[in-house]
Amino acid sequence: MTDVKFETREIGSLAKPPWRVKAFAGRPIEDGDVAEAERWAQKLSLDGTEELVETLRRDEFGKDDLRLIDDWSAQYGLALLERAGLDIVYDGEQRRTEMYDHVVRHARGFEQRGTIRSFDNKYYSKAAVVEEPSIDRPYDVDEYRFLAARTDRRLKAPFTGPYTIVDWSYDEHYGRHGSLGATAEQRTEATRRFLLDVAEHVVRPNAAAVVEAGCDWIQIDEPALSTRPDEVPLGVEAFNASVAGIPAARRSLHICFSDYSKLFPYVLELDDCFELQLEFANRDSHELGTDGADRPGYETLLLFADHEDAPSVGLGVVDIHTNFVEPAELVRDRVVYAAELLGPERVSVNPDCGLRTRSWDVAYEKLANMVEGTRLAEEALNRAHAGSR
Amino acid sequence: MQAFAPGIYPRSEALVQATRDLDRGRTTAEAVDEQFQRDLDELVRVQQEAGLDLLADGMLRWQDLFRPLLEAGEGLEPGPLMRFLDTNSFYRAPTATSGEPRLPQPLDERYVAPLPGARIVTLPSPYALALGTGVPAKVLATAVLKPQLDALDAELVVLSEPFLARDGAGGLESLREALEALAGGPPLALQITFGDARELLRNGLAELPVEGIGVDFYATHATDLPRGFDKLLLAGVVDARSSALEDPQEIAEFVERLGVERVALVPNGDLQYVSESIARQKLARLGAARTAQAKETAA
Repeated sequence: MTDVKFETREIGSLAKPPWRVKAFAGRPIEDGDVAEAERWAQKLSLDGTEELVETLRRDEFGKDDLRLIDDWSAQYGLALLERAGLDIVYDGEQRRTEMYDHVVRHARGFEQRGTIRSFDNKYYSKAAVVEEPSIDRPYDVDEYRFLAARTDRRLKAPFTGPYTIVDWSYDEHYGRHGSLGATAEQRTEATRRFLLDVAEHVVRPNAAAVVEAGCDWIQIDEPALSTRPDEVPLGVEAFNASVAGIPAARRSLHICFSDYSKLFPYVLELDDCFELQLEFANRDSHELGTDGADRPGYETLLLFADHEDAPSVGLGVVDIHTNFVEPAELVRDRVVYAAELLGPERVSVNPDCGLRTRSWDVAYEKLANMVEGTRLAEEALNRAHAGSR
Repeated sequence: MQAFAPGIYPRSEALVQATRDLDRGRTTAEAVDEQFQRDLDELVRVQQEAGLDLLADGMLRWQDLFRPLLEAGEGLEPGPLMRFLDTNSFYRAPTATSGEPRLPQPLDERYVAPLPGARIVTLPSPYALALGTGVPAKVLATAVLKPQLDALDAELVVLSEPFLARDGAGGLESLREALEALAGGPPLALQITFGDARELLRNGLAELPVEGIGVDFYATHATDLPRGFDKLLLAGVVDARSSALEDPQEIAEFVERLGVERVALVPNGDLQYVSESIARQKLARLGAARTAQAKETAA
């Protein structure tokens, strides 16, 4: 048996730095914002940031200035993930407004329908589909090429999945007629047509172009996939339609904050899906321990143990909703528990989801501890294996 | 035939901005209060213009269906952030810190705003409030909801129930006991929001001890309504989760086909899942549908 080694990676978005947010919102950049850019440049050992600092000190920003700020924001995101020690990186989705908005603003067939409350005083913009969705041209290729030219590490490109796009959009096209008092079958068929159109005419051509540009791993993000258990088969069908014919070495699916038991047995029908990246830490204890009783948040892994033909698991070991920085030893125990249950070859390590609601300081500490804890898990497992030989 | 709009109404773009600014320290609480009042005044005007029979205050300050009661209650607190059904919106799940929670004082005018006319009030259903707390629904009904109900001056109190349709008919019995504990106050209606009520209707939903039952007809087939339904039917005929604007004539014809004697036209849940500009138009169409239905009946 070769030594155990786990891959570590991010999942999605990081927060955007205040200097980027303010520049694009047309608000004044303050001295503290510039100091923040300088502090992180030093921490991440980024060279050449003088041009960014000089630009940020201007009173107004032209188109070229904003492009430069956008580029630097992506470089900071990439560097933060590299410096934290991750094996697989991207840019923390610095160029994307938000996972839903990014897609509908680049696609035809959607119109904005105003602001909806997410929770408390947090809001998001929501769009309606008004005709069959499509794209004029792929919209994430430049983002990928920029990063590929600036890192030696493997990149994993994230794409918001069709189920989430459909679930978070209003439908003014597919189910418009006869929806009042309609049967469940009629509603399901309308949803299915919407899903497959988004998969085939929006997600797939964009992802295919990124793969053609050199990316060998595409991650479909479907946080909403199991919120309607009866629609999980539709979500699986839509994933398959999204990746059909794309020659990526790896295709994976990210789901979070859901009841994963609803995914089975349907996820066994995912076409050539390397891995499911799932959130677990959010529901787990902070106590150390590698027994099942110590790891209540990871109970769903038993389903994967029962289904050896299920995809591998991208193990969420860091809670993205709290500032509690998981000690490396806690990460270690979560990874060891999963590896002993499923076999280390079926486990990789990631945060529960994107860390965009955390400050960069907290996100960095969490990711760095995640990497350190993963190394501790490898040592523990290799030591145990050596002891048994 | 009546028409009204229970539930949480969306905030205007101006109020969205004001509350965002408040969180970022860019405005004052007083300025936000003034915008809340402007939103409320506008909502009242829109309802009056639409000809709605009972006014609602839109619960504009409610952060979610449970929050004010959790914050005002003893032995209760807002818990983890949870996704609301299959939406991209979230709520703080009710959490009990004692086995005997209580509401020492009813909610004040920030949460039940005075209105210039006959009104409805919306509160969480005892089943929804109790879900996940470990406290029986009847206990919460008696010690939290009943004191609030007794303090209300309302033509109708709508108990909003988003979870029961998904959880199944097993919860009906505990809900019945809880509703019995609420008797003696203002008339009550239980509204099953955003869900297929078929199984519940087949298992006695219409026999619960309330004046009215609300059904979402964007999730429930019309034929699932039991024959001889004799309560006030809160017919969810405006889809609060769709930006598409309903056709008042289509609604009127649909309601006519239901063959129920006492009907109130309502949205199928909180209108906060559409933007305020869309919600305003939906209220106008709700009123227009009632007018059209009256003509349909006369014809």
